Amino acid sequence: MSRQLFHGGTLASDGSQADILVEDGVIQRMAPGLTADAHTEEVDCRGRLIIPGLYDMLVHLREPGREDRETIETGSLAALHGGITGILAMPNTDPPIDSGSMVQFVLTLAGERAEIPVDTAGCITRGRLGEEMAEIGDMTAAGAVMLTDDGSSVANPNMLLRAMEYARNFDMLIGSHCATPALDLHGVMNLGSMSYRLGLPGIPATSEEICIERDLQLARLAGCRIHIQQVTTARGCEIIRRYKNEGLPVTAEVSPHHLLFSEEDLCNYDTSLKMYPPLRTPADCEALLAALIDGTIDAIASDHAPHTIFDKQMDFNHAPFGILGLETALLSLHDRLVRPGKLPWDVLVRAYSENPRRILNKPPVEIREGVDAEFVVFDPEGETEIHQDYLLSLSRNTPFLGQTLAGNIEQVVLP
Amino acid sequence: MATGMNRKDLLDIEDLSLEEIQFILDNATPFKDLFTRSVKKVPTLRGKTVLNLFYEPSTRTRTSFEIAAKRLSADVQNFAVSTSSVVKGESIQDTIDTLMAMKVDYIVVRHGSSGVPKMIADYAGASVINAGDGFHAHPTQALLDAYTMREVYPELTGRKVLIMGDILHSRVARSVARCFHMLGIEVGMFGPGTLIPQDLPPFITRFDHYDDAWDWAPDVMYLLRVQNERMKDHFFPSTREYHQIYGIHRKRFAAVRERGTWIMHPGPVNRGVEVTDEVMSYERSLINQQVENGIAVRMAILYALKPQTEAREGSA
Repeated sequence: MSRQLFHGGTLASDGSQADILVEDGVIQRMAPGLTADAHTEEVDCRGRLIIPGLYDMLVHLREPGREDRETIETGSLAALHGGITGILAMPNTDPPIDSGSMVQFVLTLAGERAEIPVDTAGCITRGRLGEEMAEIGDMTAAGAVMLTDDGSSVANPNMLLRAMEYARNFDMLIGSHCATPALDLHGVMNLGSMSYRLGLPGIPATSEEICIERDLQLARLAGCRIHIQQVTTARGCEIIRRYKNEGLPVTAEVSPHHLLFSEEDLCNYDTSLKMYPPLRTPADCEALLAALIDGTIDAIASDHAPHTIFDKQMDFNHAPFGILGLETALLSLHDRLVRPGKLPWDVLVRAYSENPRRILNKPPVEIREGVDAEFVVFDPEGETEIHQDYLLSLSRNTPFLGQTLAGNIEQVVLP
Repeated sequence: MATGMNRKDLLDIEDLSLEEIQFILDNATPFKDLFTRSVKKVPTLRGKTVLNLFYEPSTRTRTSFEIAAKRLSADVQNFAVSTSSVVKGESIQDTIDTLMAMKVDYIVVRHGSSGVPKMIADYAGASVINAGDGFHAHPTQALLDAYTMREVYPELTGRKVLIMGDILHSRVARSVARCFHMLGIEVGMFGPGTLIPQDLPPFITRFDHYDDAWDWAPDVMYLLRVQNERMKDHFFPSTREYHQIYGIHRKRFAAVRERGTWIMHPGPVNRGVEVTDEVMSYERSLINQQVENGIAVRMAILYALKPQTEAREGSA
């Protein structure tokens, strides 16, 4: 049916009522009180929220290299399943995306196989080794939208500075994974009272804070745009706020997991909560949420990191870092933050749909007359059980496995 | 005497209530009384199988468990684990499946990674006893140490124990501190700033100077082994300096002897590092008593735990 009327829904971005008439993938009309004719399929959206398609700017698609965990295709299906209509793939694949030809490879594959548009980042340094600059110009020409060595930080400040200065000519965004490797050592969780209790080596918050400060100073010196990926600490938020107040072109993101979980949730050595950067203290969770609401943190990004069941069954010290996020992000944020009134819908829409696209200089996805129809019909009163068969990802490493989350993604409309 | 325990596993002191701790300690005494007899066995666990699953080499603890199990008439088996292969989850998961298929009653686990005994306990019907996991816990050590304390001080409340050395990497320190605290003992810690965690539980008193710790007048000094590898990781500059500042060297030992402070150590002792040689012949060294009590306490633990390996036979 090429003509649909979504009627009775509420726009999540501003709470207004609107009926949406979609024909051939375009929103033809949008107003309250529209009626459907005989040629129009009517979709009952009473009590539903209409959310513009989300964009997740930190996703590990594992292709090339670890197609046993995820592929571009399955990752895109998982994203769509979670109400996400655009994703940014990280370049820490095997081999890494550190050249124009690798960028082309990913984008070509995505064009053929992905259900939704897939963008890719390119590495800052060759092989993500932090020693030599990757061909930034070539990668930009091939279509990369951000540079990051994600998974690692660039340990040598001079290397990072040079890359920032060079990237300026291409107006390329530098994404920073903020950590100080020499301080992280063999840490597997946040350093604190919980790491003492569990007898596990810890990663100090200072490691992230030092690096955020460092990278923002370098960005100021180089005059380039910078995006701080995966902020997890309260002090990190304060540092970012300070630089934003000075007018620096810095943006930042947080993952749903760092908003919802803390180190205290690790009491059972559950590897489905082992991630990097690690879960921090409850006070950090609160600070992150406050920063998201006041705009210090601009975006939500899941850091979707598929791992095989086998890998995650290892003991906590040896299990790989990372958990799934695409299919549970919207639902878990709704269940744990939006429904209890801690996170307003308009902030979520801004952080998970508008800002990520704006940061990457992509056209916005809006819900208004005349634009492509790209939105999610979300039932806040429904429920979704995250069981094995629900997930479309190839992997299953999510802490929500077996749980029921409030909310239901009923439909994702694509142009 | 405290009432019984209804627990399958012993993974961590933190899991135990004060009543359970006292139950185990109370039950160790009749087992210890056996040791002076010519026949040291009782038939309590006859027909049961105890499996030692030691991923880290340990002759002392393993032998202690073996003797304890055999004195209870259990059959003991050591599960040979390949220690040459890099430790991966593969070994643990396959091993868990194998053990479950063998249907043993008790599994004593020591592993270099915190949380592994819990992984096994969550899957196996056998009773799992943590013989030390990573830096996390060594509950049987804490219990035998508590038992030893009780022999010296029948009334434990208000007693002071100073734990000295590498707290950061010590599962013994964590379990002993917790267990002693539950029994009303005041716990202090002293060691190099690099080896004492920043976030200690609030009940622990931290000392930065030996003289302050000494003035606190501990009844017992509990010494931890210091691993030389820690030197390479920049935790302290040399064993020489360590011994001078953080060890019980000769001069300090003279004061210890004069005051009559008891010395405890989980073993094995690094002579000349954490303590001077002379402590080995000190009349107030409890080290040998700890070893003897270890067997009795481990017997009490094996006696108290309830494996879930039998098909239901009427009442639980």
